[in-house]
Amino acid sequence: MRIHLTVWRQSGPKDAGRFITYTAEDVSPDQSFLEMLDVVNEQLIKKGEEPIAFDSDCREGICGTCGFMVSGIPHGPEPGTTVCQLHMRKFKDGDSLTLEPWRAEAFPVIKDLVVDRSAFDKIIQAGGYTSVNTGGARDANAILIGKSIADAAMDSAACIGCGACVAACKNASAALFTSAKITHLSLLPQGQVERTTRVVNMVAAMDDAGFGSCSNEGECEAVCPKGISLKNIATMNREYWKAMLAD
Amino acid sequence: MRALRMLGSSVGNKLLLGLTGLALFGFLLFHLFGNLLGFLGPEIYNEHAHALISNPLIIPAEFGILAIFLTHIYKAVVNYWKNRAARPVAYGVKKWAGGPSRKSVGSTTMIWTGLSVLIFVAIHLKLFKYGPVYFEAGTGVRDLYRLLIDDFRRPGIVAGYVLAMFLLGLHLRHGISSSIQSLGLMPESWTARILRAGIVLAILIAGLFAVIPVAVYFGAIR
Repeated sequence: MRIHLTVWRQSGPKDAGRFITYTAEDVSPDQSFLEMLDVVNEQLIKKGEEPIAFDSDCREGICGTCGFMVSGIPHGPEPGTTVCQLHMRKFKDGDSLTLEPWRAEAFPVIKDLVVDRSAFDKIIQAGGYTSVNTGGARDANAILIGKSIADAAMDSAACIGCGACVAACKNASAALFTSAKITHLSLLPQGQVERTTRVVNMVAAMDDAGFGSCSNEGECEAVCPKGISLKNIATMNREYWKAMLAD
Repeated sequence: MRALRMLGSSVGNKLLLGLTGLALFGFLLFHLFGNLLGFLGPEIYNEHAHALISNPLIIPAEFGILAIFLTHIYKAVVNYWKNRAARPVAYGVKKWAGGPSRKSVGSTTMIWTGLSVLIFVAIHLKLFKYGPVYFEAGTGVRDLYRLLIDDFRRPGIVAGYVLAMFLLGLHLRHGISSSIQSLGLMPESWTARILRAGIVLAILIAGLFAVIPVAVYFGAIR
């Protein structure tokens, strides 16, 4: 297969950046998208050019490190898939693809397709934790949790924090990410202690980081590699006004 | 105090937008009821209007609606600017995600359809509430029915009203279900039904509002 790539190249945070076109030759349909880029990069290095910078770690779709726009859709056209698990058999010989970093005020570009997602860490630091007693580790199953609640909490906890939700949203809103964390912890008994302050502080951290607000369009849900549902955002909103009334 | 500050956050903003939006939706339903009385003839139509105008609670009610309307507009504009600032650099290529996404022409144009409705409301008030005052012979009841017939015999006004109701319909198409989601009142088992009901109600409300000027123009109401 031959794939034409139009890639956002930006040498650093201060550089203006521009699109540059490359052609990937002899692409195997069995390659993952990132493996295809690895080959392109090897050729660039051989030619003495700067390779295309992109984030990746586990390449199994579970760590949340990779992610960029493939022709206008975060992680590419296949639903429920990170870009590392997107395979070239999804494309046709001669396809032209545009690769671009997540674009958001809160996610400044570091280089090429790599963005700084530490704004997500700040949201977690603001309340994405639970208090535990010090001392010996408690038995993992000492607190009983109903299966339906455990399942629902797990659905929310499945968020890998890749940032595709922010990238897809027309407002660059982090509502899906933040609400998944809030919902996950508000469902579990361990999360009850900080339940009210958590939602207030995490929403404040989300706003401080420069993310927009939720327009309830659900583009985030549609591109989320883990299928995190919009119902998490409804839960966050409900938790929010409950916290407001509890004040 | 904290509660007031919380209303200024992105989530608080949307709570207020949803709440005021639903209140305005309620007002629309009541207004539509009054309009449809036009099909029953001038007596019933004018009697309903008179009952409202002569009620001592009308002034506080009008101020209430004005406050809700202004809050809705203010929060929407603040929201719009903050959201624009959240993505200063636009994508070179951006597509709609499709699949389960609820994105629609309505959802992407809320600020513009909303501002169009605001302009429409100003013109509408000028034409009717603050328009020429006629009285029914003998009773002293304001003859709004006559005004209705006079205005909607003019094709320009009819076309303007139909366009405004189309834009209102687009606004409601996203607004009704979105407000329920913003308030966190969207249970999973009801989501599909609420989304569908939002679209049906939007078409119904905008359609029925638009029918009245058209009916007058073509002589079905006279």
